Amino acid sequence: MGALILAQAPATGGNPLLQAVVALVILANFAAIVVLYLCSTSRASDSPTQKRGSIAGAFLKYEVLLFGAVVMLLPFYWMIVTAFKDGQTAAAFPPVWTPSRIATKAPDPKTGEMIRVVPLGTAQRTGEQVRVVPYDNMVFRRVQESDFSVTKEIPDPDFVFLSDPALFQTDSVISLDLKNFRRAWYRPEESSRGQVNFQTYFAVSIISSLLATVGTLITSALAAFAFARLVFWGKTYLFYIVLATMMVPGQVLLIPNFLILSSIGWLDTWAALVVPWLASVFTIFLMRQFFMTIPEDLWDAARIDGASRFRYLWQVVVPLSRPVFVTAGIFDFLNNWNSLLWPLIVTSTPRMRTLMVGLQNLNDDAGAEFHILMAASCFAVLPVVLVFFFLQRFFIEGIARTGLK
Amino acid sequence: MTSAEKRKATESIEAWLYLAPALAILCTFWFLPIIISLLMSFGNITALKPMDQMAFVGVRQYTDALRSSEFHQSLWNTVNYALYAVPVTITLAMLIAMTLNGRMKGRGIFRTIFFLPYITTWVAVSIVFKYLFDREYGIGNWLLEVISLDILGMESAYRLNWLAEPRGIWELFLLNPLGIQVGRMPLGIDNLVKGPSLSLACVIATSVWRDVGYAMVIILAGLQNIDRSLYEAASIDGAGPLQKFRAITFPLLSPVTFFILTISMIGAFKVFIPQFMMTPTGGPDNTTTPMVMYLYEQGFTGEWKLSYAAAVAYILTLIILALTLFQNRLLGKRVEYGH
Repeated sequence: MGALILAQAPATGGNPLLQAVVALVILANFAAIVVLYLCSTSRASDSPTQKRGSIAGAFLKYEVLLFGAVVMLLPFYWMIVTAFKDGQTAAAFPPVWTPSRIATKAPDPKTGEMIRVVPLGTAQRTGEQVRVVPYDNMVFRRVQESDFSVTKEIPDPDFVFLSDPALFQTDSVISLDLKNFRRAWYRPEESSRGQVNFQTYFAVSIISSLLATVGTLITSALAAFAFARLVFWGKTYLFYIVLATMMVPGQVLLIPNFLILSSIGWLDTWAALVVPWLASVFTIFLMRQFFMTIPEDLWDAARIDGASRFRYLWQVVVPLSRPVFVTAGIFDFLNNWNSLLWPLIVTSTPRMRTLMVGLQNLNDDAGAEFHILMAASCFAVLPVVLVFFFLQRFFIEGIARTGLK
Repeated sequence: MTSAEKRKATESIEAWLYLAPALAILCTFWFLPIIISLLMSFGNITALKPMDQMAFVGVRQYTDALRSSEFHQSLWNTVNYALYAVPVTITLAMLIAMTLNGRMKGRGIFRTIFFLPYITTWVAVSIVFKYLFDREYGIGNWLLEVISLDILGMESAYRLNWLAEPRGIWELFLLNPLGIQVGRMPLGIDNLVKGPSLSLACVIATSVWRDVGYAMVIILAGLQNIDRSLYEAASIDGAGPLQKFRAITFPLLSPVTFFILTISMIGAFKVFIPQFMMTPTGGPDNTTTPMVMYLYEQGFTGEWKLSYAAAVAYILTLIILALTLFQNRLLGKRVEYGH
């Protein structure tokens, strides 16, 4: 240690390859827009013109969509790839994007001894005196004046330019082991925060979300049936009251609910996480809208067969309404699964901590250890994404339906 | 009692029985708290003064809140967030939906990709974006470096403070480069001119990323509900794409757009997880703290000023209510439900 190794700075003026690509993209877009404009204004509707216009249109369309798709997927990719890095690589700047080998050791130009080299960003953070700019593709980068600030004490002769990439000893820095996931999983136990780990968080989140969802579906189906199909005293007023509560933000209820729960001694219990969420105005409304579309004739037929209203609801309405049950179930589950403020307030001991609160704690705890944080984020994101791929149709159709009614 | 009346009465009783479970929960944890909260906001409950020792202090909590500069800041942050996040999300969603509408290959895949962020949880999203916007190791500064060094060939890299930058985005990218310094202006106009601070803009970008797919799915469904023959008729009459958008798409889509606008506006006033996770201390110069986070900090940390927090919560409710009514009155009339 002690030697400062600098990569050779490339000639200023940027990266010609990248500049060429950018210029090409700009030119192609310009050409496509011109073609599209010419084709749309020309009165001639012969097929070659039309074809040229539609090709240019499709080019622009797919380009925009692809760019959007990359923006949408990039954070997911970044989360997953970081979860497989070691701590040093996760804090490397410029970032390492693909599983690759980066230089970890290099020969000291004076003694020939192999010494450890670290990525630029890391050196800045830890104040280590050895730095080099190691890249898998061995494109070296300028090192700026500002980068020297932490290593001022090193005398000038130690500034050495190392230009031969072949001398670097490289190591794989993104490896397919689950080390980070294991560390993230047990991290709460290791820290001073308590005796539980993500296993508890998962259990609390899944059980409380499932109970609340199933309960909400049952109470909402019953209430929605009354609103949709029964004539009763006070129906209109009650419906308006119920609708009006949809407008009240949940935060208003936070404080009194906290006091109510504490006065009946439910703080920090399963009941606090589940019972208040056993009914949902939105779900009642969604189901009522669906039940209204079921023809009245079915009830007449069921009544002639001697069925009670409850049996009609249970054996005719509910099976017919499966899509709305799945949609509402997804919404309710996600709402419970994603909530942070409520469990944060009504629970205090680690054994009642939900996944989101656990994650929030970890964020406070491991603020700069991005590889651990990304692994923990995967815990919260990937199960839902997995379920999404199976129930995609219901998710998207359900949401589309709420907008059309 | 006639048999018809009797049947009506039993139907009424039966109906209330069906409603009972849901109503029991709603009454205890929704209706009752709304009233308790209102009462509390006129009292002086803190950690030291529990519920049973509450004294009524009138509207003092409200006046205290309305006079507090921290409250003003959080209100302004919330408004600023909604002012940018909602229109940007809806405009982008509309553009994507219109691109995806019509015959094209791969629509399902793109729809899935754009929708994917919406199902991810806010907590994890915030952690990931906090990393992306990290000053030292984030992708944001890396992109700037690639653009400035590699593409533009500049001498030194351009960098931003992202989540720690208190200056407004217009101030930072438009006014300061032009040499204009924004001083204090009356009525807080300077805040409007400056725009949201870069750190709040990061939060806004995160929420646009997450929510754009949701709005897009709803708009796409609305677009596909529009009768194709209208466009064909317009084409025959020689209408261009812009005219078609103005005369057909926009008016017929207006109920859907209005629905999303209302939902997103209400939602924007309640968002607090990204601010809470990405800038736990409230951002540089307190420029990110939204009202909900302020409420949480006042009510559940430090002195536990529960009454004060209840008053803040009620002010928030009134704002949301007023906004919803205003939107219904002003925009609701212009929405065309016909056809």
